[in-house]
Amino acid sequence: MPENIIPNATQVDAQIVKTSKLASLYKFRELGLLAFIIILAIAVQLRNSSFLSGENINDMITNTAILSILALGMMIVLITRGIDLSIASVIALSGMITAQIVSANQNLNPILVILLGIVIGMVAGFINGFLVSKVGLLPIIATLATMNIFRGITYKISGGEWVSSYQMPESFVSIATGKTFGINNLIVIAIVIYLIFFYFINHTRTGRQIYAVGSNPESARVSGIKENRILMLVYTIMGGLAGLSGVLWVSKFASAQGDTASGYEMTVIAACILGGVSIAGGAGKISGVILGAILIGILNNALPLLNVSPFWQNAIQGAIILFAVIMNTLVKRGVDRNNLMRRKI
Amino acid sequence: MEHKTELDNQGYIQRSLLDKKEFTFKGFFLQWEWMLVIILIAVMIINATLSPYFLNYPSLRDGTMTFLDKAFIVFPMAMIMILRDIDISVGSTVALSSVVMATMYNSLGVPMELAVVICLVVGALCGLINGLLIIKFKELSAVIITLGTMILYRGIAYVILEDQASGNFPEWFGFFGWGYVYGTPFVLILFICVAIVFGVILHKSTFGREIFAIGKNPTASRFSGVKVDRIKVIVFVLAGLMAGVTALFLTSRMGSTRPNVANMYELDVIAMAALGGVSTAGGKGKIIGTVIAVFIIGYLQYGLGLINIPAQTLLIVVGALLIFAVALPKVRLPKIFRKK
Amino acid sequence: MSEEYVLELKGITKEFPGVKALDNVHFRLKKGEIHALMGENGAGKSTFIKVITGVHPPNAGELFLNGKNVQFTSPLDAQKNGIAAIYQHVTNYPDLSVTENIFMGHEKVHKGTKRLLWKEMHAEARAILQDLGSSIDPKEEMGSLSVAQQQIVEIAKAISTNAKIIIMDEPTAALTARESEELYKITERLRDQGASIIFISHRFEDMYRLASQVTVFRDSKYIGTWGVNDISHEQLIVAMVGREITQVFPTKTNKKGEKILEVKELGKIGYYADISFTLHKGEILGLTGLVGAGRTEVCQSLFGITTYDRGEVFLKGKKVKIRDPKESMNLGIRYLPEDRQLQGLVLDWSIGRNIALPALKELSRKGWLSEKKEASLAKRLAEKVNVKANSIFDLVSSLSGGNQQKVSVAKLLTADLDIIILDEPTKGVDVGAKSAIYEIIHDLAVQGYSIIMISSEMPEILGMSDRIVVMREGRITKIIEQKDATQEGILEAAMSESKKVEIG
Repeated sequence: MPENIIPNATQVDAQIVKTSKLASLYKFRELGLLAFIIILAIAVQLRNSSFLSGENINDMITNTAILSILALGMMIVLITRGIDLSIASVIALSGMITAQIVSANQNLNPILVILLGIVIGMVAGFINGFLVSKVGLLPIIATLATMNIFRGITYKISGGEWVSSYQMPESFVSIATGKTFGINNLIVIAIVIYLIFFYFINHTRTGRQIYAVGSNPESARVSGIKENRILMLVYTIMGGLAGLSGVLWVSKFASAQGDTASGYEMTVIAACILGGVSIAGGAGKISGVILGAILIGILNNALPLLNVSPFWQNAIQGAIILFAVIMNTLVKRGVDRNNLMRRKI
Repeated sequence: MEHKTELDNQGYIQRSLLDKKEFTFKGFFLQWEWMLVIILIAVMIINATLSPYFLNYPSLRDGTMTFLDKAFIVFPMAMIMILRDIDISVGSTVALSSVVMATMYNSLGVPMELAVVICLVVGALCGLINGLLIIKFKELSAVIITLGTMILYRGIAYVILEDQASGNFPEWFGFFGWGYVYGTPFVLILFICVAIVFGVILHKSTFGREIFAIGKNPTASRFSGVKVDRIKVIVFVLAGLMAGVTALFLTSRMGSTRPNVANMYELDVIAMAALGGVSTAGGKGKIIGTVIAVFIIGYLQYGLGLINIPAQTLLIVVGALLIFAVALPKVRLPKIFRKK
Repeated sequence: MSEEYVLELKGITKEFPGVKALDNVHFRLKKGEIHALMGENGAGKSTFIKVITGVHPPNAGELFLNGKNVQFTSPLDAQKNGIAAIYQHVTNYPDLSVTENIFMGHEKVHKGTKRLLWKEMHAEARAILQDLGSSIDPKEEMGSLSVAQQQIVEIAKAISTNAKIIIMDEPTAALTARESEELYKITERLRDQGASIIFISHRFEDMYRLASQVTVFRDSKYIGTWGVNDISHEQLIVAMVGREITQVFPTKTNKKGEKILEVKELGKIGYYADISFTLHKGEILGLTGLVGAGRTEVCQSLFGITTYDRGEVFLKGKKVKIRDPKESMNLGIRYLPEDRQLQGLVLDWSIGRNIALPALKELSRKGWLSEKKEASLAKRLAEKVNVKANSIFDLVSSLSGGNQQKVSVAKLLTADLDIIILDEPTKGVDVGAKSAIYEIIHDLAVQGYSIIMISSEMPEILGMSDRIVVMREGRITKIIEQKDATQEGILEAAMSESKKVEIG
C-alpha cells in the first residue's frame, strides 16, 4: 500500500558539485576561446609581421563588423531553439533593392537607405516568424524554404544584372567606408547595436523572455509569456539585422548581385556555435558571440596573409566548426567523468 | 481478491483479438498519397495548358532525365527524417564525389570505370563520417554535425578543383545521364528499381520496422534491443551512397563538374520528402508518397523550364512548395481529409 | 453562503477529444486551510488544477473566487488573481537564475524606463528564500539546484506573486523524508500566514500530516469531501478505488532452483561499487533502497544499457561481458524499464507491434518480416498476460496504465529467456491492476524464470521477494532472506550509514 513508500533519497550534493563545476567551465570556456584567439594571433604574427599592424587590425575589425551584427541576431534565434537559414538571402534581397533604389535616386539620404534596408529585412523576418510561430513549421524547414524564395526574388528583381560601384552615389558607398569620430562607420554601427542588444536582452522583460522561451517553452506558456510573439520578435529582429547588413554589405563591397552573401548563413551560425550559443536553446552570451565572430574574422583575415589559398577557406571553416563542437562535447564529458570519480560510493 | 476474478475472467479478452480495423473505401482514399496524386494531375494540367510541348510521351519521358538525378537521395533522406534526424550535407557530398571522380580520371589517370566506383565510395564515406559523428557525439544534433560537414565537404571539393571545371569523360560515361534502355531513360529505370528496393526495405523488412520504431521512440527502441546506433550509421551511409549515385548522373548529364555543383540539392531533397508525407517530427512516411512528390516537383520544374521561366523562379516555386507541403497537414483540413 | 470559501468550483466539466477528463466535479476551499485532493492516477486531478489555473478553460461549470464568479482565460489571469500552482514535474527555466525563475511573469521594472531592477529582485528573492529557511543563492542557475531546492524556489515564486491560493501537485514525490518534513513546515507556515492550500498527493502520510479536509476524485468524477479525521483509512481507499481492496500477494509456490546468475564485485565509477549477488532459477530477488541508491544503474548495466567498469558477471557459470541490450537479450536477459511511456512502449503503435518489437528477428526470414507470425505471437502473449483490449491492433496509448504495463511485460516474453529484470513494475499502476501484475510476476517465477524486481514499495518487496537485496548509495548494505525480513530491518539497511570503503 502506498503509505509505506520508502522516502526517496536524492543525489543533492553530487548534483550540485557536478553542475556548478560545469557552470564554471562555461566561464572558463569564454576565457579559453579568448586564449585561443590570442595564441592564434601571436602565431600568425610570427609568420607574417603585418598581421598585427594597425591597418590590418582595422581592416579585420571592419570586416568582422557585419558578421558580428548578424551573429547577435542569430544568437537570439538559436536561444529560442530555432535557426534561420534565410539570412544570406535576406542580405542579398535588401542589398539588391536598396542598391537599385539609390542608383535610381542618387540624392537619397543614406540614413533613409539604411532604414529601408532594415524594413525590408524585417518584413522577410516577419514572414519567417509567422511560419515558425503561427503555422508551426520547424525553423530549419521554414527558413530553408524562405532562403530559396528570398534568393529567387532577388534574382528576379535583379533581372540578372549587377548593380556596380559606378552606379552608386558617393553618399551610399560612404556608409561603410566613412568614419564617425575617426572610427569606421561599420564599427560604430556594430558597437551601437551591441550596446542596444546588451541592454535589451539583459535588462528588459522581453529580452529575458527570449531566454525563458528557449529554456523551457512549456513553462513559459504557463507563466503567461506569449511564445508566438517572442518567436515572431526574434525572427523579425534577425531579419532587420540581416536587412541592415544587406545595405552595409553592398555599400562595403560596392556591388549588389543575385548571389550576394550566398552561404554566409553558415559562417554566422558557425560564429554563434564557436561562441558557445547552445543549439538546444536557452543559453548564449553576447561576450561569447563577439569572440566567436572575432575568431572567424581572424581566420578569414590571416589565411591570405599566410599564403593559404582562398579555396581552403571553406574546408578550414568546416573543420573548425566540427573541431569546436566536438572539443566542447569532449571537455564536458571529461568534467562529468571527473565529478563522477570524485563521488564517494 | 480482485486479481483472482480478473484472471479467471478470461472472457474479458475478446475472441476477436486478431480483428483488424475494417477496410473502408473512405479510409483508403483519405490517404495523403491520393492528395499527392491530385496535385500531380494538377501540375500536369497546368503544364499542358502553359506549353504545347509538355504533354506527350517523349517529352514526359525525357523530362525525367532533368530531375531524377537528385531524386535518388530522397529515399535515404526519408529514412533519416523518419529517424528524426536530418542531413543537410548531401548536396556537398554530391559535389565532393563528383569532383573526386573527375580529378581521379583527368589528373591521376585512373580508369573511368574505377573512378565511377570511387565516386560511390567517396559518397558512402562522407555518409559514414556523418553517421559516426552523430552516434559518437549524441549531445550534438544532426543539424550541427551535417552543417559542419556540409561546409567541410564542399570546402574539400574547392581545395581539389579550386575554380576549375573538369570534364572530357569517355563517351560511354554519358550513358548515365543520356542513355536509353528499350526506349526508356536509364535513369528512370534505375530510379524505379531503387524506389522499389527502398520501399520494400522500409515497409517490409525488420530493418524498416526498426527505423520507424526509432523515429517514434528511440529510447524504447534501444530498451527493446534495437541497435539504434548501427541503424543510424547504415542509413547515413545509404544517404552518402545515393549522393554518390546522384553525382554520377549529374556529372554525366552535364559532361563536366565544378566544386559548386549540386548547390542546395538538400533543399530539393528535403522538400520532396516532406511533400511526400514524411513527417519532420519523425516516425512517419511512405516511399510511394516520396516517389509521387519527386514527380510533382520534377515535372513542375521541367514544365516551367519548357515555357522559359528562368531557374531563379524555380527557387521560389520549390521554396513555396516546401512550405505548402509541411504546412498543409497543420492547417485544419475539411473534415473528410482529417485523420481520425 | 459561499462567502466563507476563497475558492469554490461547481459542476466543472472538461472534455478533451474523446475523453471526459472532468465530469461535473465540485471543490470548496476555505481560507487558511490545507485541503488534500486525492485520487488514483487518471482521476482527473491534474486537469482539475489546470482548470483552476486557467490553462484549460472548462466546458461547463462555474468558478467562484471569494464568492465572485470569475473566468480565467490564461495562467497569467489566474496568477493576477492570487492563484499559484507548483506542478508535479518542476517547471522552471534551468538556464536562468533563481531570481529570474521567481520573478518570471511579474518582474520588477523601473516605472519610467521599464528597465529590469535586478538589484531589487535579487534582494527580494534572497529575503523570501531566507524567510523560507533556505540559503540558496538567488544568482545561482536554477538547473544546478537539487529537486528539493527547486521546489523551494517554486514556493518562493508563489509567495512573490502574493498568491492567496497555492496549489501543490505531488510536491513530495521526489523528496526524501527530511526534505518532505522541510516542505511540510513551509506549507504550514504559508497556511498560518493566511494562504489557502490545495495539496495533491499520492501519499497518505502527506495528507495525514498536513491536511484538515480531503476531497476525493475517481474516474473524473467528484466522490466526496470529508474532514481528515472523519473518514477512516479504509473508507478513504474505498472512495478512491471504488471497491474494497485487500492487497493480497499470491501465495508463493515458486521453487528456487540452481544458481543462474552470479555478479561479482561489479562497479561503475560514480554510480555503484562492489555489487555481488547471486540469482537462482525460479527465484524472485527483490532489490530495494532509496531512489538514487544505484539499483536501476546496476540492472541497466546487466542489461547492457550502460557499461560497468569493473567486476565480473557469470551466467550459468560462464563469464560474460555485456555491452549492448541486444547481446543481453541473446543471453536470455530481459529488462522492464521503470518509465514505460519513455523507455518501454511506442505509444502510438498498436499493441501487436509493440509486443513484436524485441522479437523482429525471430519473426522474419532473411530480414523480411512476417506479419502473420507477428500477429499470432502478439495474440498469444497478450492473452498470456491478460491484456484487456479488443484487438492487438488497438493503439497502446488507448490502454490504461495497468494494461500498458501488461503489454510491457508481454514484450519481455517474446523469447526463451532465463532472467527478467523488473524496474518498479507497479509504478503508476492503479491499485486494482497491481494485484494482476503481482500474479503475473509470480506465475513467471513458478514457470522457472528468475526475476530481479526493483521496488521502492515496502509491502511489494516483502510480499513478493524470496530474498531481498538492499542498496544504499551505490553499495549493497544487506541481503535478507524473506523469512528474516522486516520492514524495520530493510529501512535501516536502506537508510543507515554504510561502511564506506574507498575505491580507486
